[in-house]
Amino acid sequence: MTEVLSPGTIEEAVAMLAEYGEAMPLSGGATLIAMRNAALVEPSHLVSLDRISDLRGIDRTADGKIRIGAMTRHCETAACAELTGSLYVLRRAAGMIANRVVRNMGTMGGSVANADPAADYLPALACCDAMLEIAGADGRRSLSIHDYIDDWYETALAEGEIITAITLPAPVEAPSTYRKIARVSGDYATASCAMALDPDGQGMRVAIGACGPGPLRDRAGEDALRGKLGEPAAVAEFAGKLVAIADPVDDVRGSAEYRLRLIPRLVSSVLSELTTQKETA
Amino acid sequence: MMAKKVLHSLTLNGEEVQVASAAGATLLETLREDLRILSSKRGCNQGVCGACTVLVDGKPVRSCLTLTARCVGHSVQTMEGMDGDQIMATLQRHMVESGGVQCGFCTGGVLISARELLEDNPSPTREAVKTALSGNICRCTGYRTIVDAVCGAAEELSQ
Ligand SMILES: Cc1cc2nc3c(=O)[nH]c(=O)nc-3n(C[C@H](O)[C@H](O)[C@H](O)COP(=O)(O)OP(=O)(O)OC[C@H]3O[C@@H](n4cnc5c(N)ncnc54)[C@H](O)[C@@H]3O)c2cc1C
Ligand code: FES
Ligand code: FES
Repeated sequence: MTEVLSPGTIEEAVAMLAEYGEAMPLSGGATLIAMRNAALVEPSHLVSLDRISDLRGIDRTADGKIRIGAMTRHCETAACAELTGSLYVLRRAAGMIANRVVRNMGTMGGSVANADPAADYLPALACCDAMLEIAGADGRRSLSIHDYIDDWYETALAEGEIITAITLPAPVEAPSTYRKIARVSGDYATASCAMALDPDGQGMRVAIGACGPGPLRDRAGEDALRGKLGEPAAVAEFAGKLVAIADPVDDVRGSAEYRLRLIPRLVSSVLSELTTQKETA
Repeated sequence: MMAKKVLHSLTLNGEEVQVASAAGATLLETLREDLRILSSKRGCNQGVCGACTVLVDGKPVRSCLTLTARCVGHSVQTMEGMDGDQIMATLQRHMVESGGVQCGFCTGGVLISARELLEDNPSPTREAVKTALSGNICRCTGYRTIVDAVCGAAEELSQ
């Protein structure tokens, strides 16, 4: 039997999660209720986050950063005009999650918390150098997306903590995009690629999804590649470093070997899409 | 064990209703088992097939993944409450005429997803129709006749 609780504030929510050991936070329910329907989880209490106004909305902070409330639905992110330039990658990823109906339900906080290795937001957020805002019974903290995934479905979130918002650096004028390889429209990714060019067009940031427990990013490799984006051998060498840190699985969406082969192709084709965009801009 | 029932008040197809459902019941369970509203179907109970799709506050959602408790104070609309909706009536007619309905299990969900598409994009391409319906699984038709119906309805509505 599941009781449903509807706190009005973040403090109330984390207090409820601390009080009831078997309680789980509920955002869109698109994953959690499906798991409960399949008896994979049996929470005593569901702490519904939908009445907490502090968790909603996309705002620009005083220093130009973008703050996305954890309860922001995928459909809102997919339509958010603030996510331009270097942040367009996140908007594009949101629009590729599942289908319209699921996008009306699922939230960014829920997706990040669930940490599915094939989830679309994780590589996009890694590409944007996002920060997660986290609240627990002991207070608040923020954490870089790069320090968030510990292992397959394991994250740095402690028991009873919730994600309250995701913050992104101020957008800069530079092309970015998200590419998803999936068996059919609406499926989870077999592999995906989130990429943003530097404003001067000399370098890039790239994160690969669905090829390991968390997004693959090699920031030292990106630095070494600066100024050499036009050299196919240098790009191939860089992509090889991403392949080396990948740890893909064999599953219904593709074999591990296939995923490893997709990585260099994704990197070079998304890069040429963005450089063409930059040249024609 | 008998599940503990809780009284939920919601607006269903424009009318205030009070319904006793299990505390953690899904909207699909409440609709089908407690209210005997049968247009939304239970296919997968996992959010995948789309047969249970209904509108909450005007937006399509999966009723199998929505808790009834979260609908308190909100408006729920099912196919039973769509009489008089012009987009829906046109879609329905085209579905019948083009053979987009066979067993009918998927049809309600397909129509609700298609209606949202046409509200948003009155002249979708075939590709856009297919993408919009990618979350609605049909075991019977092979989809072509469904896509024909939605495109036909779009054409008629935009005249
Ligand atoms: C048919 C279908 C197809 C899908 N396809 C895709 C896809 O292609 N790509 C993709 O990325 N995703 C996909 N998803 C997943 C979807 O994006 C979910 O919405 C998402 O993973 C979970 O978000 P939610 O808000 O529904 O979270 P919920 O289901 O409410 O919660 C998920 C988990 O996170 C916890 N949680 C929720 N919110 C918080 C919070 N703020 N802080 C801490 N913990 C929290 C919950 O306790 C639960 O364990 C799909 C889902 C379905 C049903
Ligand atoms: S029963 Fe809800 S999507 Fe299949
Ligand atoms: S008509 Fe039978 S499932 Fe679609």
